[in-house]
Amino acid sequence: MILVCGGLADGVTELVCARLEHSGYAYRLLDLAHYPAGYRVAWRWSDTGPTGTIAGPDWRLDLDAITGVYVRFLGPEGRRPPQGDPEDAAALQLEADAALMALLEDLPCPVVNRVGGGMSNNSKPYQSLLLRRAGLEVPATLVTSDPDAVRVFQAEYGDVIYKSASGIRSIVRRLGPDQLARLEFLRDGPAQFQAFVPGRNVRVHTVGDAVFATLIETEAVDYRYASRDGLDVAMTPMNLPAAVEAACLRSARDLDLLFAGIDLKETPDGDFVCFEVNPCPGFIYYERHTGQQISTALADLLHGTSQAA
Amino acid sequence: MHLLLGHHGDTCCVGVRARLEALGLPARMVASPLAPPARFAWRLDDGLTSRLDLDGDPTEIAGVLVRGTAWVDPAGWAPEDHAYVQAEMLAATLAWLASLPCPVVNRPSAEIWYRGRASLITWRPLLRRCGLRVPDQLITNDSAEADAFGRRFPAGVVYTPLTGDAGYLVATDEAWQSLADLQQRSPVCLSEPHGATRPACVVGGQVFWDHDPPPETRALEPGLARLAAGTGLDFLEVVTAPLRRGPGVVMVEPMPVLEHFEAATRVLILDALTALLAPVAAAPGAVA
Repeated sequence: MILVCGGLADGVTELVCARLEHSGYAYRLLDLAHYPAGYRVAWRWSDTGPTGTIAGPDWRLDLDAITGVYVRFLGPEGRRPPQGDPEDAAALQLEADAALMALLEDLPCPVVNRVGGGMSNNSKPYQSLLLRRAGLEVPATLVTSDPDAVRVFQAEYGDVIYKSASGIRSIVRRLGPDQLARLEFLRDGPAQFQAFVPGRNVRVHTVGDAVFATLIETEAVDYRYASRDGLDVAMTPMNLPAAVEAACLRSARDLDLLFAGIDLKETPDGDFVCFEVNPCPGFIYYERHTGQQISTALADLLHGTSQAA
Repeated sequence: MHLLLGHHGDTCCVGVRARLEALGLPARMVASPLAPPARFAWRLDDGLTSRLDLDGDPTEIAGVLVRGTAWVDPAGWAPEDHAYVQAEMLAATLAWLASLPCPVVNRPSAEIWYRGRASLITWRPLLRRCGLRVPDQLITNDSAEADAFGRRFPAGVVYTPLTGDAGYLVATDEAWQSLADLQQRSPVCLSEPHGATRPACVVGGQVFWDHDPPPETRALEPGLARLAAGTGLDFLEVVTAPLRRGPGVVMVEPMPVLEHFEAATRVLILDALTALLAPVAAAPGAVA
């Protein structure tokens, strides 16, 4: 039995559930919009891993019957918090989430994904070190609070972009005259700059040992926001060179991610440069554009019919 | 220059600074090394370099003791801007610490850096792999399950919020009723009660105790060393206590508190930390 922890209002979780049904794989949904109310949990730890049950409105699941877990936490807007004083309710919601995370960390089955695996995503430069160690090329990067260092970097690399170093999502922007005029603000704290890498965007999803590479073609600097700039995006499946594919799998494995979304660029010279690894990829966008069977591979992984990386 | 990253009252930083200075090694305490007025540059391209100017000139860093994260003073920042700047500072500091070629105690992983002090239950998988006993625990929002767990421990059980530090003994009817009320709203984490605690401090694989522990507690030492290795930390505090089935671990603290140890043990811990940061200078017979 597969356990899905998420909200049906979230398109990615909805797709995972639909794919499990289509594949004939039994699953239970722990609807995080209604958790913890509406569920009875009893998880015991002694000398071994956890034992016990989760009971939903009309089902009861033994932990040792779980073959795989897919989890996608929701933002506060998608939750129904515990009753009572709002401040207490927020604290209790955190407590309930911490309880679920503790369980998922210690289940012996594949969990997509355990929380620890995603932590490196909170520091992009730190993650770059790990990616390079795994064999992926990463862009020339500068993290600095020194305006002079930015000027030297730009003089060396020419076209430079800037984006957040942390896990807070930001739009990738080119460093232009307006930004250069405001470099003195860097003294308040460091920011991240990267040499602009020309070429074509490639999104790779690793699902256990399976690899799905998608070529994205657009004129936008950041293809995720192309429509905002009135630009088109075209996506097609592609094959990666074997060494790059192996490095992607190694990166996901090193980060303890059974499912990962890896952002690459293929340069005009045919090199592949990695920008980041997303531990909770919203793969629906890519699957719908290309028909790649990412959700099917994920369903197989959770069911235990594919080999985990 | 050795950098001791912690607030000015941190006794670990103060003690290690005194030892380093006694060895003739300059040391400086700083709470948030990349915060203004510092100038910082970390560059990853063909090579990996970093530069930190604390006083206008590049600081040659010989070793770092990490006793805190990079806190940004919220004064002068709008709350949403402060949250962003704080996240950026944490991200930059983690990468910088990870890439320094000198000794760094403790050099954090992303998981340690961002999770901070985690509840015992979060450590369970690693503790189990290290062969260390842990109290029986239960997470439930079912009061009948909690009652059944409680019946196994006539002296009461310990309620420990997973997002907090405190533990509360649940032993009276009133306490059990309060717990049942809480369970109406959220699962709670209950633990087997334990006996008197005995902290251990692991520094570079060595385990330090106050006084000589009984043999069954000392037998935990190989597991404690494996635990420190498993976390990648050179400096780790682990609180042990008698459990029903023998001594085990009841708390793991990746940011050890020197005050949890007696004066004589603190001296040993500080000496060992100093030796990790300045291995040659601190060696017996070395000339500073």
